[in-house]
Amino acid sequence: MCVGLPARVIRIKDGIALVDASGAKREISAELLDDLDPGDYVMVHAGLAIAKITNNDENETDRIMEEL
Amino acid sequence: MDEIVTLAHGAGGKKTAELIEKVFKTHFSNPEFTGDDAAVLQIDGNQLAFTTDGFIVSPPEFPGGNIGKLSVCGTVNDLACMGAQPLYLSCAFVIEEGFSLAKVEAYAAAMEKTANEAGVRIVAGDTKVAGKGQVDNLFITTTGIGRVMQGCHTSGTFARPGDAVIVTGDVGRHGCTILLARDTYGIKADVTSDCAPLWGTVKTMFDTTKNIHVIRDATRGGVGTVLYEIAEQSNIGIRLDAAAIPIDKAVSGVCGMLGLEPLYLACEGRLVVFAPKEEAAALLETLHKGTYSKNAAIIGEVTAELAGRVIMKTEIGTETMLPPPGGELLPRIC
Amino acid sequence: MKDEKKTAREIIETYNGPAIRIMEVCGTHTHEIFRLGIRSLLPDNIKLISGPGCPVCVTPVNFIDEAVFLAQKRQVTICTFGDLVRVPGTVGSLAKARSEGARVEVVYSPMDAYLYAEKHKTEQVVFLSVGFETTTPASCLAVRKAKQNHLENFSLLTANKTMPQAYQTLKGSADAFLYPGHVHAVMGTTSCEELVREGISGVITGFTAKEIVTALAVIIIKHREGKAFFKNCYPRVVTAAGSKAAQQVMEEVMEPCDAEWRGLGTILQSGLKLRAAYETFDARIKYTMPKLVGHSNTACRCGEVLQGKCYPDGCILFGKTCTPEHPVGACMVSHEGACSAFYQYGGIHHG
Repeated sequence: MCVGLPARVIRIKDGIALVDASGAKREISAELLDDLDPGDYVMVHAGLAIAKITNNDENETDRIMEEL
Repeated sequence: MDEIVTLAHGAGGKKTAELIEKVFKTHFSNPEFTGDDAAVLQIDGNQLAFTTDGFIVSPPEFPGGNIGKLSVCGTVNDLACMGAQPLYLSCAFVIEEGFSLAKVEAYAAAMEKTANEAGVRIVAGDTKVAGKGQVDNLFITTTGIGRVMQGCHTSGTFARPGDAVIVTGDVGRHGCTILLARDTYGIKADVTSDCAPLWGTVKTMFDTTKNIHVIRDATRGGVGTVLYEIAEQSNIGIRLDAAAIPIDKAVSGVCGMLGLEPLYLACEGRLVVFAPKEEAAALLETLHKGTYSKNAAIIGEVTAELAGRVIMKTEIGTETMLPPPGGELLPRIC
Repeated sequence: MKDEKKTAREIIETYNGPAIRIMEVCGTHTHEIFRLGIRSLLPDNIKLISGPGCPVCVTPVNFIDEAVFLAQKRQVTICTFGDLVRVPGTVGSLAKARSEGARVEVVYSPMDAYLYAEKHKTEQVVFLSVGFETTTPASCLAVRKAKQNHLENFSLLTANKTMPQAYQTLKGSADAFLYPGHVHAVMGTTSCEELVREGISGVITGFTAKEIVTALAVIIIKHREGKAFFKNCYPRVVTAAGSKAAQQVMEEVMEPCDAEWRGLGTILQSGLKLRAAYETFDARIKYTMPKLVGHSNTACRCGEVLQGKCYPDGCILFGKTCTPEHPVGACMVSHEGACSAFYQYGGIHHG
């Protein structure tokens, strides 16, 4: 239901972040996330950063399989 | 049939085919009426290719070209796809009252330059001015005639099991460029239209081998639409390797943002070629030397089974179907 | 070979235990599962059911009728996500209304609708606010900003929905749920943990091939243990608390209401509407919306499809009168709809 796009924060000012997703850049609202810095990765949905991304899918799924 | 024309009728997908089938074919049907990019006509022992195309791009200028360049490329490429050397073009302008004359001249200059490159002459034209608001800036229609090269015989019905499927460069660039130029979605990316005249490319391919079954330029509807057209016309299946399809990184980024499939974005300088597998290496070598086909790649093969379908090998090695062409491209968000 | 030495994919491919029904709740999961050909990895005893998590699919017919009414009878400009443009209403879709002269603008975000309204002060702009907890905060931020800046030509037509009540309705439909990762990025994991206590199992996961395959393997292993379970397989995006800021803005701007889900009927307190403090931005109040009773095709089985009671091709309309070009039911319209995904990808792999 909710297409999410992982994107890298290029710059951030007044709750508006410029993000890059493999070369596609767009300004999005980042007002719901605190302490966001350039270089951080965020999950973008409908022009809004809904969450900070703290790992990549490969490391995360490897760890989950180890825990099983 | 829907009682009114919608944007989907012009998107190059099923609705367009339906309009052609149910309305135009009913009234225009004759032995020369073609489902290919251009009709091939026998006139006094000469084999000529003949085609026409209308251009309504908005905005009329974009990175990598403008509507003038596009209007020459489109028709030249349709002729080239039939193995025909483009000879002459005519053009018709419909211009909106109030439109800048300097811009009209800039587009004409682009047409001149592109025609020179393609070795074609613009020999006749027509100008109409429509009242303010009756057209959007300007529309250009070009019609072209070309001579089919000796020994060249291509058609959308000629694809055969065992053929390799080649694209002559990365896909979806023109469509992506226009999407960005309209600035509807606030996205910025460094993408330039692939708009180019391709007679030179086609000629070098035929100089390499005459054993080419299908050449089609992937314009509106993109490479995906062409693949489904050929699968249907030749009654064959197509197996693609998703990893082999050349896609510019930024194009793929934009598509990711909007939930679009790059295979369905328009190209204006890309050919889809079907040729027997044993010819593919030589063709690829030739293409890699060309100005407009440096990133040519074999993206799949023709199969006898699953006729009419396009199957794609995914990133995890499974198989899935390439969704058939839909109507208007709409971003998928929620 | 012991399970701990198997990869996630091997666990799935070699599964030979009792049948498991897994419902992927989220439309984006449905779409990615088809796009990645994941169904072809599954043995016959694992059934994937496409649930109701496509906001377009569960939006009732009369919502489209309301939008068409506003566009045609109140001459407003409709700003909408592209997903809704082709959804059939009782008489027609927004695409049809547009071809008859209505103003319909496709936007990427609710904030873009706000900006459109700011730029076009002579037009009355209505944003079609659909979506679950992932999407709703963006709508709330836009309307809060409109209130702060006294933007008077902007309003929302709301059909926002919340998932926990739907999980309750669907609890008998599957042995385990693949929970929607981005809903829980906003809402956190509390509701899933509560569901475990009621015996409802599921895992939260992301949308890449690795994430989906891993989540399915986790379900297989945990299901075999026999107890109800929950695991967050997407902690890189989903935290236990979720996004407090997003929850707060939703709480501030909207309040729960009963909501009709196309195919499922009315689910109590499963919707969100604007609070009284924001009622000047509620398009239904602003334009004195009449009560519109939508009519959908009675043969359409979208409702049963959404509950996993029948597969899309169990509907007599599927692939005949109902195709992506001529959708009858909402599940055929959205690219994420179960019927559309079945139709577009379903030629080679079934079930």
